[in-house]
Amino acid sequence: MSDGPTAGDELVFMMGKFAAKFPTDRRYAKNHMWAKREGSVVWFGFSAYAVRLLQDVYFLEWSVDAPTRLREKQTIGNIESSKAESELYAPAAGTLTEFNMLLMKDPTPINVDLYGAGRLFAMECDDTGMLTPEQYQDHLAAAWKIAEKTIKGQMNE
Amino acid sequence: MPRKLTVVISQGQSANPAKRKLEEDVVAGLLFERGVEVTVVPNLYDLTPDGTGMLCLQGISGDMVVVSWLFSRAAFWTLDRNGIRGREGKVELVNEAEEDEDEDSDGDEAAAADDKPRVLASRDVPNRVIYCLDFKARNLAQPFIEEILRIKKLAEAQPVNILMNWIGGSPTPAQQVRFDAPTNTTSGVDAAGKLDGSSPAGAGPGIHLGLSNEAPADATPAAPTIIAEESNRRWYPVIDYARCTNCMECIDFCLFGVYGVDKVDTILVEQPDNCRKGCPACSRVCPENAIIFPQHKTPAIAGSPEGAAGAFKIDLSKLFGAPDALEQAVLERDVELVDAGRAAVGMAVGIPKRQTEKAAAPKDDLDKLMDSLDDLDL
Repeated sequence: MSDGPTAGDELVFMMGKFAAKFPTDRRYAKNHMWAKREGSVVWFGFSAYAVRLLQDVYFLEWSVDAPTRLREKQTIGNIESSKAESELYAPAAGTLTEFNMLLMKDPTPINVDLYGAGRLFAMECDDTGMLTPEQYQDHLAAAWKIAEKTIKGQMNE
Repeated sequence: MPRKLTVVISQGQSANPAKRKLEEDVVAGLLFERGVEVTVVPNLYDLTPDGTGMLCLQGISGDMVVVSWLFSRAAFWTLDRNGIRGREGKVELVNEAEEDEDEDSDGDEAAAADDKPRVLASRDVPNRVIYCLDFKARNLAQPFIEEILRIKKLAEAQPVNILMNWIGGSPTPAQQVRFDAPTNTTSGVDAAGKLDGSSPAGAGPGIHLGLSNEAPADATPAAPTIIAEESNRRWYPVIDYARCTNCMECIDFCLFGVYGVDKVDTILVEQPDNCRKGCPACSRVCPENAIIFPQHKTPAIAGSPEGAAGAFKIDLSKLFGAPDALEQAVLERDVELVDAGRAAVGMAVGIPKRQTEKAAAPKDDLDKLMDSLDDLDL
């Protein structure tokens, strides 16, 4: 993180031995994206939790063009990384106004500057219902147990 | 006499090191093969029609092997749309998962087994062969190199075909004689030179096609031609004319003006960039499963070989629960219409008429009137 928060501006969640950090200057969506309001839009990006699970991102593809109206949980693209492949879903209902097109050529900012240059897209949407950093931590405590099982289950296959 | 076989490597969009390494290993494995020229382009599907990459591919004559991350049908018909045509070469290196199904019932053969006329049958296809290999078939380079060398042997066994390609399909008797009985080893170079000059599209400015692969020094590897075209992700349908019956269901269904017809009223993707990103609706309404969206997540829509028209539609109903393929297509189209600020039309417009079922009925007076109007050639 080039301009990451200093200690005290962030919460930490331990994923095993890995300390995932969450800046407190923004809110979080349950699908592990951060949400930060900038004027009329809210920018979204992957949280440290999501990036830790993904690890190196190789490929990002959006299946919709901006601007477009989205339902919550609508499929909007997919991602391929060293550890996983996944569909991506809208974190909220609203109008997606802009994708960070720089990530199309090179998705590495998602890994090296996840709370800054690695941001994914901007939406006109309501962010007041999103989780606070504290609430997100509680959400993670539950999510992490399931994630651990998923990871271990797939490794045992 | 070694003859030229061009191998085109179409790079993937992903920065996955394993995928990049496979591409590089295949290129490296071919560098020392005499008579094999390697051209590397960005993802074939993303190339623009007038860009350097496509111009370069249009400049290639003779048999061609294209290795891409697309299903081979998708690659073949993407080339076709850009005027890079030939007969589809039989590829032996296929995805292992697909191989069994292939042997049980070849989708293409099954589809072609009925008596419906396919667009391809009425087409003039250049007498050269294009083989499309799918990088997804194997993890290692060696099987690809072996397959390419097998294809090269095949190509060498058909000198007349290659001659026809070189000189545009109609050799004069003198040319035929000169080809059949070359006087010395440089005649091959002459022929290759002729090919270069007679190629209508030609090579784009500044592109070295490396036609001098008959260089005497065996040990010197021919450097691959690398086209670095800045390409953005594209999204548009590709028609498989070996399946298409020109039924016009797609042009009726799509309300974004993607489809059109050519001078002889054959369906074509006229305005690919009008297509709505992510929307595969027309593919679902195509009765012959002839419309490919190479980047779609569903293999049957992306051009996977298993091809019986109904196969992927059943699969989709399972995936999506209630809506069948047509309902799904209508929903997808409505989403795009609303997104474009237009009104949703639901089932009211362009719903497949399944004209094939009507074809057996005798012509009525209206049909006869229409036929007579057609005959007038207005």
